[in-house]
Amino acid sequence: MSAFMYGVVLQWKLDIRSKSLLVTCYVVPLLFFAVMGGIFTSINPGAKYTLIQSMTVLGVSTGALVGLPPSLVEIYGSDIKKVYKANGVPLYLGMVSMFLSAFIHILIMCTIIYIVAPIAFDAALPASLPLYFVSLAAFIAVSLSIGCVLGLSVKNQAKLTMISQVIFLPSIMLSGIMLPVDLLPVFFKIAGKIFPATWGYKMMTDDTFYFGSLWPLAAILFGSIIVCIFLLKRLQKT
Amino acid sequence: MSYAIQINRLKKNYGDHTVLKELNFDVKKGEIFALLGVNGAGKTTALECIESLRKYDSGSIVVNGRMGIQLQSASLPDHIKPMEAVRLFAKWNKTNIDYSMLEALGINELKKKMYTDMSTGQKRRLHLALALISNPDIVFLDEPTAGLDVEGRISLHDQIRKLKERGKTIILASHDMAEVESLCDRIAILNDGNIVFMGTVAELTSKIRKRYTLHIKTEQGDKSFESDNIGNTMLTLLEDFKQRGINVLDIKIDKGTLEQHFIDIARGNSK
Repeated sequence: MSAFMYGVVLQWKLDIRSKSLLVTCYVVPLLFFAVMGGIFTSINPGAKYTLIQSMTVLGVSTGALVGLPPSLVEIYGSDIKKVYKANGVPLYLGMVSMFLSAFIHILIMCTIIYIVAPIAFDAALPASLPLYFVSLAAFIAVSLSIGCVLGLSVKNQAKLTMISQVIFLPSIMLSGIMLPVDLLPVFFKIAGKIFPATWGYKMMTDDTFYFGSLWPLAAILFGSIIVCIFLLKRLQKT
Repeated sequence: MSYAIQINRLKKNYGDHTVLKELNFDVKKGEIFALLGVNGAGKTTALECIESLRKYDSGSIVVNGRMGIQLQSASLPDHIKPMEAVRLFAKWNKTNIDYSMLEALGINELKKKMYTDMSTGQKRRLHLALALISNPDIVFLDEPTAGLDVEGRISLHDQIRKLKERGKTIILASHDMAEVESLCDRIAILNDGNIVFMGTVAELTSKIRKRYTLHIKTEQGDKSFESDNIGNTMLTLLEDFKQRGINVLDIKIDKGTLEQHFIDIARGNSK
């Protein structure tokens, strides 16, 4: 096994052992799904048509924006970074391996929602399975890239929690998963378009593929990758 | 003479504060060389510049050989197991694992422990193992025994001696004189960014042996005198006391220790 692959597999194991990422990738989203799935479909029977997508957006946002950044700070805000640097392990390994490991964990959580929602809450399945999972994969990747930017740029865990919430809460409130976007004031409707959750939710609920929903996600992903490269280079120098 | 490391006019500033003021020193291949100094003297900064972990402002550093680095403050992910860390570092260094080295450092017996559950000594041994993974020619050890109990220190000292027997060059940063006395061939004492002493341990020791402190208790109180020539000083003082009619009640001679002398040199009080 190559050094890179070994690093990714090892990170996957560490995430399972550490439990902190598991809480944000599995426990919180699935608990929220179990409670809110029942409430949403009881209050509004029409919610069953978007329940999988809305619970998925919440789960992905929780795992990527709240779960991933503190794990990155554990490496890049500590002496682990120096040990890696001193002994020939490239600095990018921590970020890339955590990204891939979190991607898999979040995808598993989303698949659980996808399978359980129709059985537990009579939720409707998305019209196109391939389109849904491609959209989901794109949304997870973009959300994790923002999580990486947060984890690399903020070294203080308390400050990081605050900043993560500043991105996480509007993502949830303005994306349309809690309230229909059409009911929001114009300002909030526009503000919601800054966050990937809005576009991810739209892509996953659309019956057919619209390029107009993909390019904002692509732009955010591209921007985040550039920022991550810059932040890693800065960390390499310090 | 073949050198493992050559440092020429190395200078490093942190803002307005100059931490290293044009350091010059060489480390010979196969020797154990110590950088000594009180906290804040610049030991770690000097080491990190040599290790390429920190940029320096001017001067030159020549390193002849592959480096293995054990940092003063080192850490690994909480839930990693020792052998997982060893494999990860070995793979990135494209090297085979030296199981005899792991055995000697007692890493094999830690197999099932996670990093967070390991003692300070076990962590130090693991970080030393990781520093040795690439079979380096030059090994940097920054405060290797800090926080270790007596048993841990003895064990680590044995490992360091074995590394020297295997032909490795070892650069040690420490403020523990006993450690330096028992391990090192040559030492450099840093004070305020300058090297204030450079030589062998024997040279430092002989310097100490020349200095005595004479404590004389008289009816009029206690007095202390420092001297390089204890015989002459004592005769002169006793003659003086006799002439002045002062009764001497007790005399104590303090030869001084390596540690005391180090503190004097490191603080710039050396005579």
